[in-house]
Amino acid sequence: MQRNLMWRWLLIGAVSVLAVYFMLPPDKRIHLGLDLKGGIHLVLQVNTQDAVRAEVDDAMERVRVDLTEKGFAPALLQRLPDGDGFQLRPGQNTPAKTLDKVIDDRLAEFKISRGPEIAATLKPEVARAIRDIAVRQGLETIRNRVDQFGVSEPVIQRQGLEGDRIVVQLPGVDDPARVKEIIHSTAFLEIKPVERTAPTEESLLATSSGKVPEDSEVVSGDIEDMEGRITGKEYYLLKKASVITGRDLRNARRSQDQYGQPAVNFTLNPEGARKFGGYTSAHIGDRMAIVLDNKVRSAPVIRGHITDSGIIEGNFTVQGAEDLALVLRAGALPASITYLEERTVGPSLGRDSVKRGLRAGMVGLILVAVFMLVYYKGAGINANVALILNAILLLGAIGALKATLTLPGIAGVILTIGMAVDSNVLVFERIREELELGKTVRNGVALGFQRAFATIIDTHVTTIVSALFLFQFGTGPIKGFAVTLTVGLAISMFTSVFVSRTIFETLLSRRAQVKTLSI
Amino acid sequence: MRFFHNTKIRFMEYRWYWIIASTALNLVAIGLIFFAPGFKYGVDFAGGTQLTLKFSSEPDLGRIRNALEGLKLGEVTIQRFDEANLHQYLIHMQNPAGQEGDFTAHMLQALEKEFGGGTGKIEINLQGSDALRDALAQADPDQVAGTFDDRRTHYKPMADEILSLRKRAGIIKGPEDLASLTALSGGVKTYLAQNAHFGDFALLAAESVGPVVGKDLREKATYAVSFSLLGMLIYIWVRFKLQYGIGAIVANIHDTLITLGALVVTGRAINLPTIAALLTLVGYSTNDTVVIFDRIRERLKLERGKPLITVMDEAINATLSRTIITSGLTWVVVLALFIFGGDVINTFAFVLVIGIIVGTYSSIYIASPIALGMSNWLEKRKQARRRR
Repeated sequence: MQRNLMWRWLLIGAVSVLAVYFMLPPDKRIHLGLDLKGGIHLVLQVNTQDAVRAEVDDAMERVRVDLTEKGFAPALLQRLPDGDGFQLRPGQNTPAKTLDKVIDDRLAEFKISRGPEIAATLKPEVARAIRDIAVRQGLETIRNRVDQFGVSEPVIQRQGLEGDRIVVQLPGVDDPARVKEIIHSTAFLEIKPVERTAPTEESLLATSSGKVPEDSEVVSGDIEDMEGRITGKEYYLLKKASVITGRDLRNARRSQDQYGQPAVNFTLNPEGARKFGGYTSAHIGDRMAIVLDNKVRSAPVIRGHITDSGIIEGNFTVQGAEDLALVLRAGALPASITYLEERTVGPSLGRDSVKRGLRAGMVGLILVAVFMLVYYKGAGINANVALILNAILLLGAIGALKATLTLPGIAGVILTIGMAVDSNVLVFERIREELELGKTVRNGVALGFQRAFATIIDTHVTTIVSALFLFQFGTGPIKGFAVTLTVGLAISMFTSVFVSRTIFETLLSRRAQVKTLSI
Repeated sequence: MRFFHNTKIRFMEYRWYWIIASTALNLVAIGLIFFAPGFKYGVDFAGGTQLTLKFSSEPDLGRIRNALEGLKLGEVTIQRFDEANLHQYLIHMQNPAGQEGDFTAHMLQALEKEFGGGTGKIEINLQGSDALRDALAQADPDQVAGTFDDRRTHYKPMADEILSLRKRAGIIKGPEDLASLTALSGGVKTYLAQNAHFGDFALLAAESVGPVVGKDLREKATYAVSFSLLGMLIYIWVRFKLQYGIGAIVANIHDTLITLGALVVTGRAINLPTIAALLTLVGYSTNDTVVIFDRIRERLKLERGKPLITVMDEAINATLSRTIITSGLTWVVVLALFIFGGDVINTFAFVLVIGIIVGTYSSIYIASPIALGMSNWLEKRKQARRRR
């Protein structure tokens, strides 16, 4: 064999071995997309406005407390309608100096415009940073929750660098509703002092002439009977300032209440324990409310000094208690989220479509292979070897690139295989033409490849160019199509030009005189 | 063996008949797409929530419709999915105007209520394996000694086996389906036969796309397709000439319109995978066109002075056998997918079954005549300018 040919075979061998290495074992290396494997794909939006509003509320509270402590309670303090700022009308006779000091101390992150009323709006860069942090924290929290839930190979990513959307992909989950609930729950836990309770909102506020006091808020909760059935609603007037929040938790796990019903037990970190201990020892006999996502779960009476642990009771199933413990451990979401897109594919549907698609694809490919053998005889073997190699290299490339194979991705594979067959047909037809013109076999083969080469390059590059644009601008499925197509076409060029030609030339090089070619 | 050997068909001579026929077909397609009955966006682009349900026997569609319309959320459409004996349906509900959010749970609850579920019994066909395990641990038909967690360990393999049966079969129709499961104890089988609700349906898939994402996907798909066509035009322009690029693009538009028309006629909705299929068709059609153009370019270099129309005919004839073989082979593959591939890829295969025929035809009778017409026109203008 000529040196040149030997090098070519070595290259082909090395590439094939590499491909086989990357594709084996196929069920580990070739990642099927959710549409084929089953699982959940979620796109959710972090409502970053929540985080901005919380920041504004915080600042308002600081200003109110500061001014009130100095003896000049503000006459008006309310959030602006768009939520990025607030309005302040100082109480009468508030000295300008006091006011300036409070603004300097407390509102560094706000842009202040003065008039009869003072309008404070968050500086745009600060608001942007708050939004960005909210999305990043949301991402982190969701990742924590999913990790604790124990899904294998989850994908949790921010969509785009600056967006407020998060993409979550969880393969092989069999209870999508539960996972959605776990991800969605804000899990914002607060423990707040109870001022009084009443069965309706009116009667609750009767003693304060129908108004909610400035430092308090009304929160409702369900009343349950001994068996956990909801029998009614109770309204609570709570202090706005919480004793502790979810941030003070060290751990949470499922446990049982005194009746053996599922409940969630939590322990506090040292800072939380200090605050909680101080409060409970000073308020024995008072009630405190355990508020989760703005709903009172229970409102026990403080019976003694509690330091570092507590229990959340109320109408849980075992799974519900476990899920709540999980989200409490993983931390609260900094803002609420909305589901923009959800796709759940059950495993039976995915499995079925893979099975039937593969079977149909095999039928089609076998027909192609048989035709090539019948029509091009000896050369048909050559084409089929190139085709099989094409398939192996493509799978290897998908394995090496860690790409996921989706339904549109398979569309790309089909187009690729179609074009690989086409390249072979182009070459063979061209060789036949050249032989007909009376060229010798060696010349005919060389010319056939040479002439068909330009065409093959043009057809492949045209399609690759369009695939690159699809990759750049397309979303999920269209991108998947573009990836397999681009990779597949590069491989198709290799197999149908390089490999096929090497096979031809090796066969020809074995014989000194070649009179006929089986084509 | 050889087909189409040394043909001398004068393709271009009859071009006007074919161009008129194509134009007419395109006008019909445009009418179908943009006027009546109009283009049907699937859940990807239109938004809304779509459930794929498998029923244990043929369901009463009126009851499904009533139960969902009772929610007063959005318009409901019901469509069979796959073969009749599988009893599978796609149920789509539009989101209430402009509202984001996921209505899967609402729809499922309404259907569960309509079909006798939601009574607190164990839902064999709707619950996940963890919930199933916990329900069994709670009821404890095997009288396991120990704590709740011990009972969970005991029932876990049983719940897993029930789930894996559901994954294989799609739906568990009744207690008799559980009889063959070996991991299940006799006690559990008896308990489930009496206390579980097998229900009339199981959820195979759920998709929910809010208006924001729907609009986003529509825009991005439009951009992606437009830019990729533009990229193709520029490449062909550079490698050949502008008129050839325009010919190829017009042929692509022609193929896409006719295929879209066929989608409208057969009542198929346009989803993201459909776009991938249309792009495959465009790729295929362009490949075919470029092969012919390449041969034209080669012949033009070899035989200067020959009229373009003759060169084109020769080129088409020379590549005819490859055109027929490649198209035929690819067509057989997608036909196999269309017939045996199942409903998930059915629309995809359908697009290509139609598209390959149209795409092959358009390379000969749309792309080439346009390149020919424009070349002749440019030539005339050049001569006229020279004369002046």
